[in-house]
Amino acid sequence: MQPVIQFEDVVKIYPLKAGDVTALNHISFEVQRGEFISIMGPSGSGKSTLLNLIGCLDTPTSGDIFVSGTRVRAMNDVELTKLRRDRIGFVFQYFNLFPLLNVIENVNFPQMLKSGKDVNPDKAKEVLHAVQLEEQFYTHTSTELSGGQQQRVAVARALINDPDILLCDEPTGNLDSKTGASIMELMTELNRKGATIICVTHDPTVAKYSDRTIRIVDGCIAS
Amino acid sequence: MIFWEIAKRNIRIHMLRSTLAMLGIVIGVVAIASMGILGNSLVSTVSDSLKSVGDSVIVTPYTGGGGGMGQSGGGGGIGGGSSGSLKLSDQNFQQIKRVVAPNKAILVYLTSEHMKIGVGGDDIVATVYGLPSDDVPDLMKLQAGDYNNGNSGCLVGPTFAKDHNLKVGSRISMGTDGSKGTLRVTGIIEERGMSFDISTDNAIVVTQAWFENTYNRNGDYDEVVVKVKTGDTADVKTAIEKQLNKRKDNKIVSVMDSKATLSSIYATFGTVTTFVTAIGGISMIVAGVSIFNIMMMSVNERIKEIGIMRSIGTQKREVMSMFIYEAAIIGVIGSIIGGIFSVFAGYAISALMLSTIKYLFTVANAFSVGEGVCFGIVVCLACGIYPAWQAANLNPIDALRHE
Repeated sequence: MQPVIQFEDVVKIYPLKAGDVTALNHISFEVQRGEFISIMGPSGSGKSTLLNLIGCLDTPTSGDIFVSGTRVRAMNDVELTKLRRDRIGFVFQYFNLFPLLNVIENVNFPQMLKSGKDVNPDKAKEVLHAVQLEEQFYTHTSTELSGGQQQRVAVARALINDPDILLCDEPTGNLDSKTGASIMELMTELNRKGATIICVTHDPTVAKYSDRTIRIVDGCIAS
Repeated sequence: MIFWEIAKRNIRIHMLRSTLAMLGIVIGVVAIASMGILGNSLVSTVSDSLKSVGDSVIVTPYTGGGGGMGQSGGGGGIGGGSSGSLKLSDQNFQQIKRVVAPNKAILVYLTSEHMKIGVGGDDIVATVYGLPSDDVPDLMKLQAGDYNNGNSGCLVGPTFAKDHNLKVGSRISMGTDGSKGTLRVTGIIEERGMSFDISTDNAIVVTQAWFENTYNRNGDYDEVVVKVKTGDTADVKTAIEKQLNKRKDNKIVSVMDSKATLSSIYATFGTVTTFVTAIGGISMIVAGVSIFNIMMMSVNERIKEIGIMRSIGTQKREVMSMFIYEAAIIGVIGSIIGGIFSVFAGYAISALMLSTIKYLFTVANAFSVGEGVCFGIVVCLACGIYPAWQAANLNPIDALRHE
């Protein structure tokens, strides 16, 4: 079966005035469809760089990355943006909902980007139901929701376009332990239903929910 | 469209800032449009004043000063001729007649005279024109009475009639102590405004015969007016000059083409209108700078939001459109309000500076308002483009990290 994510000898170097910094050094790995992966490592190890590369926000200096079989390196900005919109769902540490939009509009946003006016009006309610957010909050703005509720909306927004990968950056980093646990149970539930989840974290509790963990140290895969 | 909605909401949550930016645009549009209205109204006023000029060519004795304008005359019009020694001979007149045929050449006598209105009236001095009776209808229209004034009848200008309470049938004693006889008013002339040929609004018009008999004049005319109905005034002017000013060192006549003079007057007013409108444009530039400023602020406040948008699949052009919509909303609303206010400003300017609003609702003024509105919208869009471009081209990774 074709892997959802495939890294082949990927190197990422940031050219700085003080000298080049190698953030990722000849990294290779694969993520299969339906896997729940956590990526762990200390600060400055290259986790964020890896996340940006998986999320097609950046391109490698050398080596190749394939997302759902598509070679990322050959793509221009418009194609990369389209790839992010259609194949990847992002969940951020600070939820990052749009404050000007209500819950339904936030969730529908990626669908509107993809389909324009032809959005499925029921799809947002379906995914919000899947993340267990009560209907009474659908017309609220993000500032009127708790942290856990905001993160559920963020997960629903990430799921609306049926992405191949759900990419989470410290999804519980801004939540209390109880709410964090409920979000991780939600992730596990989504993974059981077939979602591929890649979770970048330095919280071992979060990593416990995953099938396997990739440890990054000094830009290399340690284990 | 979601980006249109976000743009609207962003304006709404920053209502004060957006309103102030709109106010700048309103002021800019009002400045441009009202200056345009002022210029157009000035042109209309002058056009109205010169409406009787028509297609005339005015021939006066050559004074060495070029055209016929500015000659000393007893209160005559712009080209009112001279009551001095320089005259056009009957031979000159006949030559002009031949050259301009089939157009009509009309001889004009001109002087100023003491006169009294009614018994015991004050002694006044006014301009007196002597014209061939048959040619008078070609030069002026009457608002009352008729042209058939016999030898002792006269026509009076509307201002003259109003100032001295004259009606058809009133009598005017000519000369000091009535030494030149009495004239009966047979008609009141329609207002002609300023003109290059004869200015009758504050004058009286007598027959050629009465003028020649009274002032002992014969065949020495003050000016000749050619009413051009066939051909072009410029060609007629050239033909007259060619015939009468054959010798460059001994010119006989000065010829003025009223149409060309009018064109140059309108061109001058056009330049003045453009200039004052450009001054109004400065306030629009200031408004544009304020739009640019608030758009840059808007981009800076929303860097993280832009990063999120880009990371979840928003294209650069979509980010750009969101900011362009914002600038467009401010521009369109501000410009339309400015357009409405500029009509009021135009009303006030017309009423205060020209003492009339009859030139306010014209096509030219509607165009000026439209021009101001369009310029306001264009300035807003132009000032929104760079911030929008900058927003669209933010690095999504850096934008996401922004706090």
